Amino acid sequence: MLWITIPFGTIALLLVPLAIGTDAVLLREIGPGMYWVIVMLFGVLVSVGRSSMETLPQQDASALLGLDPAAGFVGRTVSSAILLMIFESVVGVVAVGLYDISIIGPLWLLATMLIVAIGLALLGTLTGAIVNSSSAGTALVPLLVAPLSVPLLLGATQTYDGLLGGYGIVSWVLLMVAVVLVVAIIGVVSSRPLQET
Amino acid sequence: MTVQTRSRRWPWVVMGLSLAVAFTLSMVSPADSVQGDLVRIMYVHVPAAWLAYTAFFVTFVGSLAYLLTKNLRWDRVAAASAEIGVYFTGLALALGMIWAKPTWGVWWTWDARLTLTFIMFFVYLGYLALRRTTDDPIARASRAAVLGVLGAIQIPIVHFSVVWWRTLHQPPSLIRPDGPAIQDPLMLTALIVGVVAFTIVYAALMVKRIELIHLEERRLAVERSIERPVAGEAVTVPQLGGAL
Repeated sequence: MLWITIPFGTIALLLVPLAIGTDAVLLREIGPGMYWVIVMLFGVLVSVGRSSMETLPQQDASALLGLDPAAGFVGRTVSSAILLMIFESVVGVVAVGLYDISIIGPLWLLATMLIVAIGLALLGTLTGAIVNSSSAGTALVPLLVAPLSVPLLLGATQTYDGLLGGYGIVSWVLLMVAVVLVVAIIGVVSSRPLQET
Repeated sequence: MTVQTRSRRWPWVVMGLSLAVAFTLSMVSPADSVQGDLVRIMYVHVPAAWLAYTAFFVTFVGSLAYLLTKNLRWDRVAAASAEIGVYFTGLALALGMIWAKPTWGVWWTWDARLTLTFIMFFVYLGYLALRRTTDDPIARASRAAVLGVLGAIQIPIVHFSVVWWRTLHQPPSLIRPDGPAIQDPLMLTALIVGVVAFTIVYAALMVKRIELIHLEERRLAVERSIERPVAGEAVTVPQLGGAL
């Protein structure tokens, strides 16, 4: 999946300046926001890939082996988060190069990338489990994940703005962490009832 | 038979009466010194927005209650409330845009509350779309309940957006620590009556929609219980004859 989404995300980053103009100052200003929008939209494709969805034979095998559905959920989330972290890193390097984005507070940025990766992975895995084996299948997942990932998008963009402007970012990081924790709890608690249906 | 007829009609009667009172008050209240008659849109916009929050909160409660009790009654409450919530969110957004054009000069502005409310609208459209993906009532209820709980993350973010960001959208007019922002008693009454009337409309619509969902489930159950011919049943084994 990464071999498709990384080039796709890169093309999107190339298309934006063609559509809105190649003013370097403007691109530097909107670059971080564009990066996070692309991470959210294309990250959904990564998070609904095979690693996060459990097919019916896999579900049967897990049930026969006595695997706790919560453990399966956590495993799928971790694998998805790793893929998303790779996606974010590669597209991030491209965005920095193309838009001349300033890297301020690298540790905070890394932490933000990690939280977003985990949050998107959780949302993708959970919504993947919700629609799993339904007739609409994966087509519905982006519709569900994209609006639900808004707190992560706001947190990520505001954190960068805060670092750039020199004002407090802790509240935005806490918002993202709170959302991640809530989705993680819902995912773990609901994994068994979802598997039973 | 008579009781049945009454139970079907009373929500409409209550709804009609409460809306009539709210409409009358919104028309007799004075025009705003700045906005003029445009302020009358607020007597529908504010109650509709209030109802959207209430409806989605009830969806959250119904979803949580279903996950805890596995009682399909709670799923019907959550589903009915989400449908009504989506309708009133759409109404609040549309009226907000109609009000914004003469007031702010644009149909849409990238205001935090507007944008987040629009996004919340899509969360619950997704909820309704998910409910249409399966006919199995148990699977539908379980999956929708998880999303109903998950979707509630948006509600506090939309509500506090006007506090977190400096936006065009004014902060709450009624529920404020220092009392309501509206000074004119008739305008305040019209707004409060509007909120109460819309809440009654919500309750009436909930009663009717839950009844309808229950009937739909019974129809599906009856349809499933009817034995139908199996595909291929009409095909018979070819009979060999003649040469053998």
